[in-house]
Amino acid sequence: MKLKREFTFRLSLFLFFIAFSINALAQSDPTGTSAPTSTYAITNATIIQAPGKVIESGTLVIKNGLILSIGTNVSIPEDAQEIDGTDLYIYPGFIDGMSYAGAKRPEAMQRPSNLFTPDPPNDYAGITPERSVIDQIDVTESSIESLRKIGFTVSHTVPYGRMLPGSGSIILLSDANHTDHLILRENVSMYTQFSGAPGAYPGNTLGIMAKWRNLFTNASYQRVYAQAYSKDPSGLSRPSQDRVIEAFYPVVAKEKTVFYNANSLLEAQRAIRLKNELNFNLTLGNLEEGWDLVDQIKESNTNVFMSLNLPDKPKNSTEEDKSDEVVDLEMKRMDAFNRHLNQFGDMKSQGITFGFSTMGATSSKIKANLLAIIEAGLSENDALSALTIDAAKLLGIESTTGTLDVGKIGNAIISTGPYFEKDSKIKMVFVDGDKYDFEVKENKSGEGVSATDEAILLGSWSYTSNTPQGVQNGKMIIEKNGDVLSGVITNPNGNSDSELNNLSFVNGSLSFDYAVELGGQSIEIVIEGDIMGTDFDGEASISQFNASWAITATKDAPEQKIKETR
Amino acid sequence: MKKLTQSILILFFIASWSTANAQTGDVLIKNATVITITDGTLENTDILVRDGKINRIGTKLNAPNGVDEIDGTGKFVMPGIIDAHSHIAGSSINEGTSQVTAEVSMEDVVNPLDVAIYRALAGGVTSIHLMHGSANVIGGRNETLKLRYGSTNPDDLRFEDAPRTIKFALGENPTRGGRSRGIQPQSRMGVEAMLRNSFSEALIYQKEWAAYNEKRGDRRTPPEYSLRMETLVDILEGEILVHCHSYRADEIYMLMKVFSDFGIEKLTFQHANEAYKVAPELAEFGASASIFSDWWAYKLEVYYSTAYNAAILTKNGVNTSINSDSGELIRHLFHEAAKSQKYGQLSDNEALAMITMNPAKQLGIDNRVGSIEVGKDADLAIFDNHPLSIYAVPLMTFIDGIKYFDKETDVKDQRIYINPESSIEEVKILTAEDHDRCMQDADYVDFFTLFNN
Repeated sequence: MKLKREFTFRLSLFLFFIAFSINALAQSDPTGTSAPTSTYAITNATIIQAPGKVIESGTLVIKNGLILSIGTNVSIPEDAQEIDGTDLYIYPGFIDGMSYAGAKRPEAMQRPSNLFTPDPPNDYAGITPERSVIDQIDVTESSIESLRKIGFTVSHTVPYGRMLPGSGSIILLSDANHTDHLILRENVSMYTQFSGAPGAYPGNTLGIMAKWRNLFTNASYQRVYAQAYSKDPSGLSRPSQDRVIEAFYPVVAKEKTVFYNANSLLEAQRAIRLKNELNFNLTLGNLEEGWDLVDQIKESNTNVFMSLNLPDKPKNSTEEDKSDEVVDLEMKRMDAFNRHLNQFGDMKSQGITFGFSTMGATSSKIKANLLAIIEAGLSENDALSALTIDAAKLLGIESTTGTLDVGKIGNAIISTGPYFEKDSKIKMVFVDGDKYDFEVKENKSGEGVSATDEAILLGSWSYTSNTPQGVQNGKMIIEKNGDVLSGVITNPNGNSDSELNNLSFVNGSLSFDYAVELGGQSIEIVIEGDIMGTDFDGEASISQFNASWAITATKDAPEQKIKETR
Repeated sequence: MKKLTQSILILFFIASWSTANAQTGDVLIKNATVITITDGTLENTDILVRDGKINRIGTKLNAPNGVDEIDGTGKFVMPGIIDAHSHIAGSSINEGTSQVTAEVSMEDVVNPLDVAIYRALAGGVTSIHLMHGSANVIGGRNETLKLRYGSTNPDDLRFEDAPRTIKFALGENPTRGGRSRGIQPQSRMGVEAMLRNSFSEALIYQKEWAAYNEKRGDRRTPPEYSLRMETLVDILEGEILVHCHSYRADEIYMLMKVFSDFGIEKLTFQHANEAYKVAPELAEFGASASIFSDWWAYKLEVYYSTAYNAAILTKNGVNTSINSDSGELIRHLFHEAAKSQKYGQLSDNEALAMITMNPAKQLGIDNRVGSIEVGKDADLAIFDNHPLSIYAVPLMTFIDGIKYFDKETDVKDQRIYINPESSIEEVKILTAEDHDRCMQDADYVDFFTLFNN
């Protein structure tokens, strides 16, 4: 009898495998790009399972999207691709508390010709809380890859728009054929910001605050009535169907959190003011000025995601005969800069648990910013917590990600050294159990730039920039005077050339920024990318507008030198 | 022991209670000339301040333990100056996209970091009326502030329990806004129609809600809630004081007629350059005026003006104040008050009341500030000369007994938040935008807003 049962079990197992392989065949991939296995074992690595929880010479097994096992005494499944983790460090994948990752900015709505400015249509006013970011997500958006490259595996992505753009969703930063495959938690938040409609109501903070109160209060009344109606509609007139008001119902019921894009001290205070008055669950995202807000954040029970965008370090004048007044002003400006850096450690020590958000930050600067924050007093453990488990808790997804615990989603980072060391590089990232390899260029001799590298860089380049306004072509010319790299870039439409700032070329990676005048404002464009041979492949971004696009360049052939031979 | 614990607990309670409110201080000013406004000018007089309030006024007062003493010999103490029309300390001024925006409030956009606050303190100013702009007929609610500079929390600057006030505007500014947007009002007739329509709608709204509230219950359809209408109803019920931007006599008279029809009583005309033409009518209505001393001709409707405006209004029994409407003028409102003596020979007391007690009445805060009286807030300004003298220089400014300005220890750079990416050369004493912010945010759409939808 027992034997028979055993046999039945084996048979069913066998049938299961047949079914499985048929299924696998049905999904066969004619492009040949899909991974040969969905099981990975990284062995003999230093695993930071969670902040402060280190496993030396450990093994991490990820199978079918989940963490199967972790530890020093782990059996490796037969179908696993084994990765030698000697000298490598494994971390839980980072979590971005608020960004536009994966979302594609919709075309700006044209001003209607007969716009009645006191009461514009909702989509022009930017009051569309019934919408979802899911409709804006484009799986081919480059922001997914650029965040993943620096270790982020999950993002709370919010929609583009004005005052109330719609719901945010938590997505996995993986390559997918369809948006649905990215979604971890759908429509978790109501996203809002102090962004008025151009020349129409609400035009600025004044109108936005009032409109917020008005919408919320109406929703509070209408919700009660709608509930009564759904219980017993007999004799009641139908509740008015207003999708904007209805979108507020879960916020009124505290089932949905409001994510406020509150960048500055004053914006944060205004968001907290609304929360205290109306009573809803509030999370501040993208906060850059938090140091004076500790009490208000605590008293109001508000959650916070701190921005990973930091101001540029001020450059003091090198003139020798500067006045005492200038010296004072420079000192105060440097203090203000340090305030930005110190706040992270200070806020943590005063009992505020925060995560990070990347909105508005340039992705290539994020690691350097983290290191600066740590140098200024936030412990490495606290920084890692903010990037992983604390962010997961604030988003309510700690049961599925945020640490490398068995059963959680296979989101992990594999680094060539301790992540918070300057020279360590991310070699591999797992998102949802899928492996992404990154080419790690070895530093040739410390941090120096080898002569051959620079020879590639210096000279004239022809660039092609796929800006949102169309393709632009031009030249960039890079020179070296003494030890200093400098350059200019030409601008289209007869605009004057721009000088390149913060020009850096290390191990084939080129980055610089420059300013252009647009509509009377100075806009900073950051360019980053890699040089391979005589080709440059990079990304241009304007963090002010959360816009980025591809830019490529080819080194112009040097003028032929006629070799004199005789 | 039990008693001790109790008293410690009480102490703790008091300490935490006082930190939740604004800070208050103690000080003794000795032997000064005290201009009380309400009780004449007292020579060689002491003022004792305890817990932010004026505790005693007299001679030979002694400083209690730990209370700072200031030698006022040869100096003049007056009530802190009150500016009934200001746009400093606000990060937005106009929600000019709609011509009725009673629902918006300047309390939402108080900017405690504005360095203009410190400059006003250096001119002896202790309270301002942060006003919405004049781009629309019924603008937003204003906010009365105490200039407690140094705090980063806007709530700390609020004048506790000051009555709510609202901005109205007549004439060129709102009609200019209407014409540029192709909406009502495009003429002075449209302004009046808009006012009457708004109040009539508010009356209907009031009735709808009264009917709903009478038989409130889940199973009754609530009327649509409108913060705009709620505010208009509050105006009709006399809970909000109206401050109306106006210039011409005909429109001033028009608004009084409209308000009579709707039974609204609490009214102050701002600017009111032609108020002198209807001074008896203003007095009869009980309306106040808050005016410039001698500023005019910056647009057509402001040509028919006179520097005798303040004197004519005062002699006709109209409660009149002199305001700045400017981040620059606010620094020498005492000079502005003095001009009413050159034009109109007002008494010292009448002149100084126009920047203290009279604006306090217009803002409904005269029970707290505006004069030096026992029991009132210790909001005080100390001058080296009589404040109406052209040589007068403010030396110290106190709010609630706390010193917020002292010429002796004045530090050049008073900014609270500094942009680390700012360039040093950009620091300026005054910029053009400090002037005339009445129409700020009204018509202007900048590139950044357009692009960054």
